[in-house]
Amino acid sequence: MADPAAPVRVAACGCITPFGDAAATHTALLRGECALRPVRILGREGGDAVPMALLPGRSLDETTPPEWVAAIRRLHGSIPDGDWGSPGRPVFVTGSNFGVGGLYALRRTGDASFASWSALPTCTERVRAELGWGPDVSIVSHACVSAHLGLLLATRVISERLADDALVLSFDFLSPFVAGGFHALKILNADFPAPYRVRDSGAIGLGDGAGFAVLSRGRGDWTLSCQSLHNEMYHFTSNRSDGSGFARCLEPVAAAARGRRVWFKGHGTGTLEAGQLEVGAAERAFPGAPIVGWKGSLGHTLGSCGIVELAIAIESVRAGRTPGTIGGAGRAMGHSVALESFENGSFDGVVCASNAFGGAHAAFLLCHG
Amino acid sequence: MADPLTARLKQLIVETLRLEDVAPAEIPDTEPLIGGGLSLDSIDALELVVRLEKEFGIKIASSEEARRALANVAALADFIRERGDPSRLPS
Repeated sequence: MADPAAPVRVAACGCITPFGDAAATHTALLRGECALRPVRILGREGGDAVPMALLPGRSLDETTPPEWVAAIRRLHGSIPDGDWGSPGRPVFVTGSNFGVGGLYALRRTGDASFASWSALPTCTERVRAELGWGPDVSIVSHACVSAHLGLLLATRVISERLADDALVLSFDFLSPFVAGGFHALKILNADFPAPYRVRDSGAIGLGDGAGFAVLSRGRGDWTLSCQSLHNEMYHFTSNRSDGSGFARCLEPVAAAARGRRVWFKGHGTGTLEAGQLEVGAAERAFPGAPIVGWKGSLGHTLGSCGIVELAIAIESVRAGRTPGTIGGAGRAMGHSVALESFENGSFDGVVCASNAFGGAHAAFLLCHG
Repeated sequence: MADPLTARLKQLIVETLRLEDVAPAEIPDTEPLIGGGLSLDSIDALELVVRLEKEFGIKIASSEEARRALANVAALADFIRERGDPSRLPS
């Protein structure tokens, strides 16, 4: 029986990216490798080529069952065994778009086999059955801060003594529908992303990604302190131009990090306005903290990015070296943006931040021990 | 006499964005489209860009280019004359 007074910790965490698991991804990022490749936005139906990072061997086109199920199965192999989905060990499945690719394929082709993979609940139910979990599975979706929200809810059920452990599984795999949406907004275009770099026009890349975190009362080497969520409720696709939304989210994390030497793992998709606002807010909240972003290599893994990048941050601390900002070479948006990798042994915390459509912001302080 | 392209653009803006209280002729040529008197926002811009790309065969490469093209009706007309399919321009 776990000690009910013990703090909530991360007992296990992992991810899958086009480079492989968290260790392989960390190694590739240290080498400055880029997983993004030009991919036709409509898959076999063509369209403009835009930067996307797909899992090896996977095409953008939808299939039934989806090709990404194999990746989830692979990731499941590294999740500690347990009675997941039972009342004492609930599961939070988070993502921003899973299912929508199947829905689009169903509409386009009329093939009824897509129906069972065409919505968040049906997708989750299929994954639940595939992995042998019990029924205590919740779905959390809030655009690109979905994973952060799942982590917070998992923390709360443990803190409130409703569970001893909780599993947060987060995944988002690309499809023509999702890519087409970002392309219509013109932020996904022919250019490769250059997070935090000053240039004339912005661009993002998109990436396949999945990750998990097992939260536990008292077990584990990592703590997530001060999980902060703030929604500025300003506009669907833009932030307040004064950066106050970013600042509000980071304020409590900065207070929790006072006295610590931290580095900042930012969201950094490659859009200009949000990048500048994020760097400004981070430099004010965490003076001197190096800022890194990895989406210039991995692309934006959307709703899963919070956990995918948490797993890489943990791997960075374990290995003692933090990968720099990939794709950002050139004049940076702030003096704290770290383009090169750096030794992190003298730091005692990592601030991990993500942002989302709708002016949603999320951040937490990750500490070892 | 009004420039046919400018007139067509104003009509498209009203139609695409369903601006019920605005007559095309009331839209000034040089007033900012986004954040101006029409109160258009980025979602409106998205809808407009999709329609303009279809109608005039233009390609807008990035959100920054979209913002420049949509600065006002006159700028939009210049952009379409420069980049659009000449056979699709109104005469």
